[in-house]
Amino acid sequence: MAIETVNLTIYYCQKCVIRNVNLKIPENVVFAIMGPSGCGKSTLLRSFNRLLELNPNARVEGDVRLYGRSVYDMNPIEVRRKIGMVFQLPNPFPHMSIFDNVALGLKLNGLVKSKKELREIVEWALKKAVLWDEVKDRLHDPASALSGGQQQRLCIARALAMKPQVLLMDEPTANLDPIATEKIENLIYELKKEYTIVIVTHSPAQAARVSDYVAFLYLGELVEVGKTEKIFEKPENELTERYLTGRIG
Amino acid sequence: MLREVKERLFLCGIAVAAVLTVMPLFHIIYTVAVEGIPVLMKAGLNFLTDTLAPPGEGLGGIGPAIFGTLVITTLASLLGLPVAVITGVYAAEYPESIIGRLTRTLLTIMMEFPTILVGLFVMQILVIPMGSYSAIAGALALALVMMPYVAVYTEEAFRNIPFTYREAAFSLGLSRFKVVFRVLAGMARKGMVTGMLIGMAKVAGETAPLLFTAGGSNRIYFAGLDKPVGAVPLLIYNLIQQPYENYHEIAWGASLVLLLIFLAVFLPLRLSLKEVRL
Repeated sequence: MAIETVNLTIYYCQKCVIRNVNLKIPENVVFAIMGPSGCGKSTLLRSFNRLLELNPNARVEGDVRLYGRSVYDMNPIEVRRKIGMVFQLPNPFPHMSIFDNVALGLKLNGLVKSKKELREIVEWALKKAVLWDEVKDRLHDPASALSGGQQQRLCIARALAMKPQVLLMDEPTANLDPIATEKIENLIYELKKEYTIVIVTHSPAQAARVSDYVAFLYLGELVEVGKTEKIFEKPENELTERYLTGRIG
Repeated sequence: MLREVKERLFLCGIAVAAVLTVMPLFHIIYTVAVEGIPVLMKAGLNFLTDTLAPPGEGLGGIGPAIFGTLVITTLASLLGLPVAVITGVYAAEYPESIIGRLTRTLLTIMMEFPTILVGLFVMQILVIPMGSYSAIAGALALALVMMPYVAVYTEEAFRNIPFTYREAAFSLGLSRFKVVFRVLAGMARKGMVTGMLIGMAKVAGETAPLLFTAGGSNRIYFAGLDKPVGAVPLLIYNLIQQPYENYHEIAWGASLVLLLIFLAVFLPLRLSLKEVRL
């Protein structure tokens, strides 16, 4: 299993926002976590790479395992190098160039030996994110000059450059137009050959389009999880069926 | 009808109040210009480099005071800016911690603290033990006045960075130090530089913290960091109290120089600030 959660429970202050979640996420699949706004999807995702620790009010109980190893026994910096993340709002660093955005993690973590190697990895990552052809002539323009969809693909390249084992995506298309969304979804489909992707979405339609497995989260609890076709064709839980047919949301 | 009249009266009232508020500023600039320009015209460029004339004879120049202001402002920046930036970053990074909260409160108090007390404090800890006024004492007093501005601006600049960029930087597996100083500092740069320039512009015009610390020097440019040093505001303060006509003229000339230095730093700063916000 790429990622496994064991009795994962998360509190904000005293309020329980994730209750006793047990998930098994296999390797090289797209795993969607769907549910209505405020059900704890983003919180759950941030517990995987320990980004939740930026919030001093969050408390985690239970365990998250990356390839069998508890991420809470590892150094958070090591965890985050192995688990890349893409956010809801395209957030390339606006004061840096396109090139520097992708190169940043490699440079500051000392993961490359030479300028040549750095350039090669940046090019590789931009090609993986299907952005290279659009930016190869203006690598030193500021990242803020790109369109929203391009910025989001730049963020994907930034995460890929670190050669992560798992890629977390927190509603990566929530702020994009339909055409940019389609590009990102096609990209996700390509990337799953090499990466395990966990994507959070509030749209069941998106989960159906991109994912192999889907988990339905409601008010902090895991309602149902399984193969995507199975969940969409024959949900076992009534709550899931009501969500998929738009009666709750 | 009556409502329209009321509305107009109200608008007029506000306009008059606004004009009354800013009028003193223009009056100050006007007076300093009217009194200062003839002095500068008469003394010429030498006014900026020459040493002070003897009482009652000619104008000479305010070179040592300008140079001294430059020296202690620079020195105060070297002493104050690094500490202030680190303080600001700390307050922004650990806003919930006891020290972080205490720092923020203390910084706002320090900003409004009577600057003459800062001067007295530095006199106690430096001037009296050393037995002499000195450039270093003046610089320390100015550093203490400057620091809260720089720290508060730095803190604001860091706290205004949207949380998502912080998350993005951490998600790349960077240490907190690198996140703050290699990634976020670049985004906070404008706010930090603004704070530094405002702090420097403010202390370049301060008099009170220098009264008991810098000592003043009108005829010698620079004798060492442990010796008294001049400063433009201090010179104005001293000259105005003298009974000599030519000293009053020099004081007006020095006032104009001080105003020009201040405006030269402040106006471009204010304008560029607006540009960033829009």
